[in-house]
Amino acid sequence: MSLTHLNARGEAHMVDVGDKPESRREASASGVIRMRPATLALLADGQLPKGDVLATARIAGIQAAKRTHELIPLCHALALSKVSVDFELDEAESCVRVSASCRLTGRTGVEMEALTAVSVACLTLYDMCKAVDKDMEIGAIHLDAKTGGKSGDYRRDAPAEPAPIVTGEGEAGEVSLGARCALGEPCILVKCLAELRERLGVGEVAVSVDHLETADVAGLKAALKAMDPRFAALEEGRVLCAVNQVMAGNATPLTAEDEVAFFPPVTGG
Amino acid sequence: MTRVRVQQAVFEAGAEQAALTAGRTDIGAVVSFTGLVRDFNERPEVQALSLEHYPGMTEAALEEIVTEAEARWPLQGVRVIHRVGRLAPGDPIVLVVVARAHRRAAFEACDFIMDYLKTRAPFWKKEHTASGEYWVAERETDHQDARRWETTS
Repeated sequence: MSLTHLNARGEAHMVDVGDKPESRREASASGVIRMRPATLALLADGQLPKGDVLATARIAGIQAAKRTHELIPLCHALALSKVSVDFELDEAESCVRVSASCRLTGRTGVEMEALTAVSVACLTLYDMCKAVDKDMEIGAIHLDAKTGGKSGDYRRDAPAEPAPIVTGEGEAGEVSLGARCALGEPCILVKCLAELRERLGVGEVAVSVDHLETADVAGLKAALKAMDPRFAALEEGRVLCAVNQVMAGNATPLTAEDEVAFFPPVTGG
Repeated sequence: MTRVRVQQAVFEAGAEQAALTAGRTDIGAVVSFTGLVRDFNERPEVQALSLEHYPGMTEAALEEIVTEAEARWPLQGVRVIHRVGRLAPGDPIVLVVVARAHRRAAFEACDFIMDYLKTRAPFWKKEHTASGEYWVAERETDHQDARRWETTS
């Protein structure tokens, strides 16, 4: 694959599209601007000092799409047949999702126009809201899809949901207790798996052997509870235990470097 | 090909059975069980299932179950495959194939492996339904099924 905007000498040049056949081109892009929940509430209620934020940002995005060739050096000036900019207020994530789509029948793609529309709509949202919130953050601007043209159709794959196969590793949004062991101190690695991990909000934690009153699983449970009251859940309902991946009980002895896993009853098959 | 596998990828029961019996003429019976993801369980409208496991211990637990089955019934071949990750209704989730000279032992060993797998192998299911996601609870009937083998051995 080569870069069409570079010529044989590696210099930037504008691609001659005069001989390309005309075809129907469409592209859509999206981005996100994150803000404080209070800012989003003001935006939704039309209470921001500069007035109708979304209508202004929509016009800004459409205008920007039409002027993309003035901003991006090697872009052609295009007679767009349609530009639309839409907003979705996401209260759960406290952000505004901005999407734009552009269309024309012509010789070049319109993905730069869609991306420019999203970028400028986001910038306008920032400008309209910055009086009340300077921490807003623009991000995740990307092409979602394009159709038509020589390079064929493109559709961005939805980000794959993380498959939580490997249990016992901390995941996003979890409170990590961090390693409670100083470097070189003999430690026991504790893992909480599956439902127990989610209930406790703890995936992995290291416990210094010195914190154990008795060097067994019962002693470890007591030490964990002393560290964090959430570990009282280890006594609630049926919680199973494995030491070095072999089923164990409260009396199972522990030594440094052991891996201890706590987990709910199994439900495979 | 190891006799126990934990994988994300889909399996093909027919291909696994063919691999188990390839070049063999001493096998008189092959019993195979395939478990599929249902679209209803504790709640209706199950849209997907996520399966977690405890890597390392899972494989060891399955190996131990197969070894115990072989101690009870002289078997000529066993294959156990369990999938992990995100699965949709209708997807195959678990496969047990048992080969033996005669059918009775093959039926019993397959049944035994599934009962022990459900109560001893560290897998956990989370169901994603129209009314939210939740972790599947253990079932007393699975434990009753597994206990059947304690008295007959």
